[in-house]
Amino acid sequence: MAEPPFEIPPIITYAVPGFVLLIIVEMLYIRFFKKGGRYETKDAATSLAMGLGNRVFGIAFGGFAVLVYYAVYQFRLFDLGWTWPVLVACFFAEDLAYYWFHRIAHERRWFWASHVIHHSSQHYNLTTALRQTWTGTLGLSFIFWLPLLYIGFPPLMVLMFQAISLVYQFWIHTEVVGRMGPLEAVMNTPSHHRVHHATNPKYLDANYAGVLIIWDRLFGTFIAEDEKEKPRYGIVSQLGTFNPFRVAFHEWIGIWRDVTRAKSPRDALGFMFGPPGWSPDGSRKTSASLKAEWAARQQAAATPAE
Amino acid sequence: MNLGAWLAQWVGEAPVLAGSAAVVAVMVGMAWLLGFRAKLMLSEADLARLADAEGAALAHALIAPDGRSGFARLSNGKVMIARVMGDDVSARAAPLAAMRLELTPGRLSAAFADLGFPPLHMQLEQAPPWLTELAEGLNKQGQG
Repeated sequence: MAEPPFEIPPIITYAVPGFVLLIIVEMLYIRFFKKGGRYETKDAATSLAMGLGNRVFGIAFGGFAVLVYYAVYQFRLFDLGWTWPVLVACFFAEDLAYYWFHRIAHERRWFWASHVIHHSSQHYNLTTALRQTWTGTLGLSFIFWLPLLYIGFPPLMVLMFQAISLVYQFWIHTEVVGRMGPLEAVMNTPSHHRVHHATNPKYLDANYAGVLIIWDRLFGTFIAEDEKEKPRYGIVSQLGTFNPFRVAFHEWIGIWRDVTRAKSPRDALGFMFGPPGWSPDGSRKTSASLKAEWAARQQAAATPAE
Repeated sequence: MNLGAWLAQWVGEAPVLAGSAAVVAVMVGMAWLLGFRAKLMLSEADLARLADAEGAALAHALIAPDGRSGFARLSNGKVMIARVMGDDVSARAAPLAAMRLELTPGRLSAAFADLGFPPLHMQLEQAPPWLTELAEGLNKQGQG
């Protein structure tokens, strides 16, 4: 049974008024209480424009991902219907697929080229949540969910949990909310996600979770927010532009330039699928090299001078 | 999905997109009205802090007359461009060979290969000697 026994509401569309209201509340809170983060008009405008552009590109190309979902579903291993146990299993499976998508989107430049957009703001507020990619479908980000279809989860069920995950992840993009007690152990929270958006070497490559932080704890990528080290947001090589088109396409153009100037096929592949910042001579910075430099500095500082 | 259905989808979504654009405009207007429009001015201390983050010190620095951008030579031989981004600063440092530098009377232009960091165009009353030397050195390298 591929079709749901109930009509699935347009979850993201229904959530949009809530997004708008929460952004306004956050702006007012920061303005009048002078705490809980920062806003900057141009930065917020870029983030919101990226969100709008994401919708435009979604209309233009999103159908392709759905077609591929249905195509793969034709070859499913099992017929999993719309039952409660399957829904629960699909929730966990989707969240696990998101974890691996997200992790690889940070570790491989091809997928980073789409995902970098979401990290390109030097601010961290609810508008940052809407700073979404325009090239996700074209960059084949959806392939990470294909195993779920192959197993036999109905396409609409997978799409429904993807939408729920996206809506969940909206509210965690804030500095207004601090730690959340026992929820921090299981759920992805604002604190965990602040670490994920930070460029401090200590925090790089951590907390890839969508809804549940358990995956980071399980796969060794969890880092807790340290009250002594305030996150600095953005990307390692900060963008110097608020232009949405530059934000959307700069990394793709960077890949194109690097690949067309590569001296060998191996280098070309490295530029496309190596870690962001990879270069044949190692002259550029990757997050691993930044972390190693930071660790060396920490060690040197801890070693007493002779 | 055929072309007709695809176009019909666009027509159906058009009012939603127009409404979304209007809401975006309202929220941006609200941010502006609430005063989230800081005008940071770069100082040499800012450039020194950014150089420190690169693991270097400032060798020479130049700040645009409007205080919105800066250009610096670092102690590790790299050059750095800093640009005010609202209430924040964005900086990029790279080896001299990785950038294009053009110095004409009254104007400095500098660009990295990365599209994400647009070229710097800075008005200059007079180029300091270190900058002239830097540009000449780069030109000689280019000719060599």
